[in-house]
Amino acid sequence: MNVSRRWFLKDCAQGIGKMALGCLLSGYANASVSTKKPPFKAKAKNVIHLFMAGAPSQLDLFDYKPQLTMIEGKPIPPSVIGNQRYAFIRSDAAVLGPRFKFSKHGGSGIEIADTLPWLGKIADEICVIKSMRTDQFNHAPAQIFFNTGFQQPGRPSMGSWVVYGLGCETQNLPAFVVMSTGSGISGGSACWSSGFLPGVHTGVRLRNQGDPILNISSPAGITPNLQRSSLDLIRNLNNMGNQHHGDSEIQTRIDQYEMAFRLQSSAPELMDLKSESKHILDLYGCDPDKPSFSRACLLARRMIERGVRFINIYHEGWDAHSNVEGNCRSNCKITDQASSALVMDLKQRGMLDDTLVIWGGEFGRTPMVETSQALGRSLGRDHHPQAFSIWMAGGGVKQGATYGETDELGFHIVKNPVHVRDLHATILHLLGFDHETFSYNLQGLDFKLTGVEHASVINGILS
Amino acid sequence: MNTLFQILLSITLLSLNDNGEVEFNRDIRPIISQKCLKCHGLDESNRKGKLRLDDREHALKGGRSGKSAIDVGKPDSSELYLRLISSIESEQMPPPSSKITLTHAEKEKIKKWIESGANYETHWAFRPVHKPAIPKVKDNAWPSNEIDFFVLSKLEKEKLSYSPPADKYSLIRRVYLDLLGYPPSPLEVDAFISDNREQAYIELIDKILQSTHYGERWARKWMDLARYADTNGYEKDRYRSIWPWRDWLIKSINSDMPFNDFTVKQLAGDLLTNPTSDDIVATGFHRNTMLNEEGGIDPLEYRYYSMVDRVATTGVTWLGLTFGCAQCHTHKYDPITQKDFYGLMAFLNNTSEVDFEVPQPVITEKREKIKNDSSKLKGQLLGMYLKHHKVDNSADVDLFINKKLESWMEIKRKTIGNWATIVPVEMSSNLPKLTLQNDGSVLASGDITKQDFYEVSFRTDLKNIFAIKLEALPDSSLPGGGPGLCYYEGPKGDFFLSNFEVIDQNGKKKFSDAKESYFKNNFGGNPASAKQAIDDDLQTGWSCAGRYGEKHEAIFVLDSQNELSPEFKIRMTFGRHYACPLGKFRVSVSQFPYGLPSNMDTDVQKLLFKSISKMNSSEKQKMVDALLFDAPELKTLVDEIIRLNKSLPANEKTLVFRERPSDNKRITFLHNRGEYLQPKEEIQPEIPSFLPKIPEGVIKDRLAFANWIVSDKNPLTVRVFVNRNWQTFFGRGIVKTTEDFGVQGDFPSHPELLDWLSVYFVENNWSMKKLHRKIVSSATYKQSSLKTFSSDNDNVFLSRGPRVRMEAEMIRDSVLKSCGLLSAKIGGPSVYPPQPQGVTSEGTYGGFNWKPSEGEDRYRRAIYTFSKRTAPYAMFNTFDAPSGEFCMVRREVSNTPLQALTLLNDIVIIEASQGFARTIIANQKSFNENLSFVFRSILTRPPSEQEIVLLTNFYNATLNDLKQIPDSISKITGSIQQKSTEQAVWALLIRSLLNLDEALVKR
Repeated sequence: MNVSRRWFLKDCAQGIGKMALGCLLSGYANASVSTKKPPFKAKAKNVIHLFMAGAPSQLDLFDYKPQLTMIEGKPIPPSVIGNQRYAFIRSDAAVLGPRFKFSKHGGSGIEIADTLPWLGKIADEICVIKSMRTDQFNHAPAQIFFNTGFQQPGRPSMGSWVVYGLGCETQNLPAFVVMSTGSGISGGSACWSSGFLPGVHTGVRLRNQGDPILNISSPAGITPNLQRSSLDLIRNLNNMGNQHHGDSEIQTRIDQYEMAFRLQSSAPELMDLKSESKHILDLYGCDPDKPSFSRACLLARRMIERGVRFINIYHEGWDAHSNVEGNCRSNCKITDQASSALVMDLKQRGMLDDTLVIWGGEFGRTPMVETSQALGRSLGRDHHPQAFSIWMAGGGVKQGATYGETDELGFHIVKNPVHVRDLHATILHLLGFDHETFSYNLQGLDFKLTGVEHASVINGILS
Repeated sequence: MNTLFQILLSITLLSLNDNGEVEFNRDIRPIISQKCLKCHGLDESNRKGKLRLDDREHALKGGRSGKSAIDVGKPDSSELYLRLISSIESEQMPPPSSKITLTHAEKEKIKKWIESGANYETHWAFRPVHKPAIPKVKDNAWPSNEIDFFVLSKLEKEKLSYSPPADKYSLIRRVYLDLLGYPPSPLEVDAFISDNREQAYIELIDKILQSTHYGERWARKWMDLARYADTNGYEKDRYRSIWPWRDWLIKSINSDMPFNDFTVKQLAGDLLTNPTSDDIVATGFHRNTMLNEEGGIDPLEYRYYSMVDRVATTGVTWLGLTFGCAQCHTHKYDPITQKDFYGLMAFLNNTSEVDFEVPQPVITEKREKIKNDSSKLKGQLLGMYLKHHKVDNSADVDLFINKKLESWMEIKRKTIGNWATIVPVEMSSNLPKLTLQNDGSVLASGDITKQDFYEVSFRTDLKNIFAIKLEALPDSSLPGGGPGLCYYEGPKGDFFLSNFEVIDQNGKKKFSDAKESYFKNNFGGNPASAKQAIDDDLQTGWSCAGRYGEKHEAIFVLDSQNELSPEFKIRMTFGRHYACPLGKFRVSVSQFPYGLPSNMDTDVQKLLFKSISKMNSSEKQKMVDALLFDAPELKTLVDEIIRLNKSLPANEKTLVFRERPSDNKRITFLHNRGEYLQPKEEIQPEIPSFLPKIPEGVIKDRLAFANWIVSDKNPLTVRVFVNRNWQTFFGRGIVKTTEDFGVQGDFPSHPELLDWLSVYFVENNWSMKKLHRKIVSSATYKQSSLKTFSSDNDNVFLSRGPRVRMEAEMIRDSVLKSCGLLSAKIGGPSVYPPQPQGVTSEGTYGGFNWKPSEGEDRYRRAIYTFSKRTAPYAMFNTFDAPSGEFCMVRREVSNTPLQALTLLNDIVIIEASQGFARTIIANQKSFNENLSFVFRSILTRPPSEQEIVLLTNFYNATLNDLKQIPDSISKITGSIQQKSTEQAVWALLIRSLLNLDEALVKR
């Protein structure tokens, strides 16, 4: 074990890009090595991260606090609030009770709000963490933090680290794909950037409008035959140059053009949902021709089947500063069925065991109500970094479990806190990495996804 | 014999210097630095066994054990060496658990070093720069200039040979790409090829260096460091205007501004004696930091992050040091303490971040003309008024006007009321600095927060005060002209008065009413009136959105039950989810009856209560103007004057630094673990102790720091700059780690050459053009880049010419230039060349609409492309251009299928090849002439026989193919009218050529 780890680190530190040998988007084209073994035994091979941007209200969905109903309208004692800074509300704002009825589900009896009926059906597959916490209380920095471990742009995202470490299993699609629905994402492209890792590890956007991948379609009038004959000309001329110059980069470029050509057919094949049966489309609630969260979830499953390593689906819209009830209702309507269907579908295909599904936002929402006459807001909740909930499924995570607890107001964590860094450490662990040693040397420093602060694997959620 | 053999062996093994000695900086420092300093360095918190090995004194002193780590001359009794070779696991160093090991050769080096005295040397980069002697070489025929002697001497030592010179086509292409960022035209090439004079090349260089496009090419390099973008970054990522700084860069580089001036102006141009507007614009360098405008952020937190970025960027850009690490803890490898980091921050920290109006002659001229027109019209007012009232006898005018004025004043006195300005006797706030102005107003400045409060105390002899008036006043020093201090998230100049309280000895006074001249809420449809500032609800208040740069008034009527004491104070609370206190205000009081709030000029309001006969002529003129402006019979003309005044075009603004006044300096703190919320002790501006000091007696401000950066005592700036330039030409720096000259950075491949060039640069008045001229005229630069000539795989020893994939901008510019579309226009606001739909709108916050520019702006140089941080221009992003989110010293060079897709299918390439095909058809030349022209425009050289065959075959085959699919033709030519099959084939052929490796590589 030590030997392989040492070898691995050495390789990490020196071989920019070499880790991703053979990946479609890597600068190195060697079909014989398409994937990289992690240094430790892994439970998960792939990740689908359903990022609920804007921050869903844990108090109205997962973390049931009847006490809030009892004291609704009264402020929270200042001793509880401490020095916490808020984005919009004042700390003396009154408490708001949960907006939905909660019920117990499955054999495990996990408590879930009734506005998530589909999630209830897979209660025995998921692990709900009710004790997540983060350092950031504004969207952009918190989203960037959740995805990269640092609150400002410039560090590699989780997906980039993972494909940097594991490579990918397809030559025909990108290793790390990003999709989005809902409104604009606060954290922007920094959330899927490769940071200081080689740019080939940046998440590739699969878009809803126009070409799914930028410039994947040949220009107007250029038939596949014309594209092929042009590529042949390019290859022949490049080959001549290669013979003259003896430069391996020319050969690399020739290979990239061939991969581009393959991508031009594999991407449409991926997007074409004709081969999906009606009951699968119905399971996801998906109109095959319309971009939607449901379609993104179905595409995610198809990508995993085709060897994509890491998939981000961003759904932005949970920022319920006003009318948290209506917000939850509409966003659950968009995401609940498809998120749950994805887990069911992966399971029935035997893919859930090595695919880790993560569902959650960048922070939580306050037990206090947000009301602002000036802004025309009422019955909303502000940002709450101290405690929030997420769920995970598959990939070596406990089934039908909850982890962590908050106080009776849902304000502070009282048991088993899970910092975002701990979650990162755990995700890496499931993929076969030790977050302490999985690093990249830059200017003499070993950079890690979990940064310099302490982080630990959450053993309590591992199956 | 045996001994001699051993010596020879050890020399080869250790690759020691020419005399067979160990050189600390070259041989020993890398070992100690990489293998020991993590635990035995300057960073106390990580130090093990209290042992330091980063300098000789500490190493000899030893650590906790008290045992010296080094017994000079005797490795076998030196703990340092014994630990390295120990076979007992618990004694081994580095500890086996660290997984760090030393090779046998490294251990031998340490041994030899201890034997020879264990001398430490100052790290090479921190030593003063001296001009080295030009080395002797065996082959004196090769060198073209001094550079070549250094390079050749090394090559000879390494037993490598140089490459033959590049052919003239390659050379002119290479030097055009390097200096201008695009290839030469066939005409320019012909002129150079046919010129066989020896001086043809140097004359070509001199001509190129005069081109105004040189500045565009090299400004872009600098913008990578400055993290330039046209938006603020983070969530909202809104537009900012800082392109005047980019234009300043281009202009300065074109005029070959000495790099020391270039530096000082960018760091502290505002502090120069009598700074020009250009000097102030230059300070935009450090305003390129991001600005978080997300609702609810803590603005000072993000200002702190910007400061951290500024220190790190300054460190990397000028000093080649990674100061960034020291934000949280003392540097593990370099002698930079955490205190040093904040000492540097203190130099840069005392600034206000303001908008600067850049005076532009065109705008000034337009403004003058409009003002002139307006004052002409104003001059007609009186005549029209008199004519309207049929006063034609000039003797009667004065009397008439006085009468009219008197009655107008009479009416106005009633509505405006008689207000007495009261002047504060004491002022305080939570943070902003309040300064009393001569006119009794109060100006706020400095930092602001989301919940600011002002307390202003008064003492007055006036009795029976019935109402209090608050004037919210504009001022040119305020963002957006005021009256508020808001500079982010809300509109510039916005304010939100959430609470207005009057407190006297009897406590808080009650109000019976409040009125205002104007109100509007910036966010949400709800009102924001003066009444809401006295409702004790901090979420509501008075705001005047939409009319910035104007005066607004609110009056607060006191409840008549109890009288106000002679001493009282006003407490105002400001803010909402963003910081927005008042920037300038004035308080006045009135007895009963009080008037109404009004937009009327305050001076005029006061003069209403002065008798006309006592007014001086300017006062009188003011009142007559007010009367005329208020006269209904002149409304049409007055409206026209107002319209003209509102139509004054504004100068472009750019972001700059302004030093804070000495009575309101910003204090810098050391932040525990680098965290904003953990400020500790106050820190004074200070240069890190391992670097030369700022001379005694010099005030340590931003200007002193800037001067220090470029002082001849500072060994880093010039080396770092020269090295970065070298990297641009050769694809690799003399110091490979262009961003890190610290002990973890690479040792220079040619240390003497670096120093020689550094001295040459300074001796030549820090002229970048002369430096570039020297580099490109060297034989080293002129070598062929063919790998076949050289076994020096990474070209560390420069045994061949450079071969580097072109940068994103260079690729775009070259495509457009080759195809005849590139616009030569320099400067101006950024433009929006076409890119695939959705790049800036899908999934980005606010869905930025990228409306492609039309006409010339569609084909401007890449440097002018609008740069949105959260959604960068797709093509540049694909080719590794930075997003402007942090300082970028060395771009990555990738080679991906997404690049292939871009070059094959992107609209820019398609439009360029269509445009070029149109030109070819219009030229009506023979096929061979056309083919040669196309090939040479794109690749500079003429095609080979073999290439002509391939291309001709492609042409003929495609011509046939297209005949089968006639519908495709107009799509490929890009115009429904253009259905020429030949034109379509040319477009396809040109597109293919643009995709060749050779078209994308500088070689």
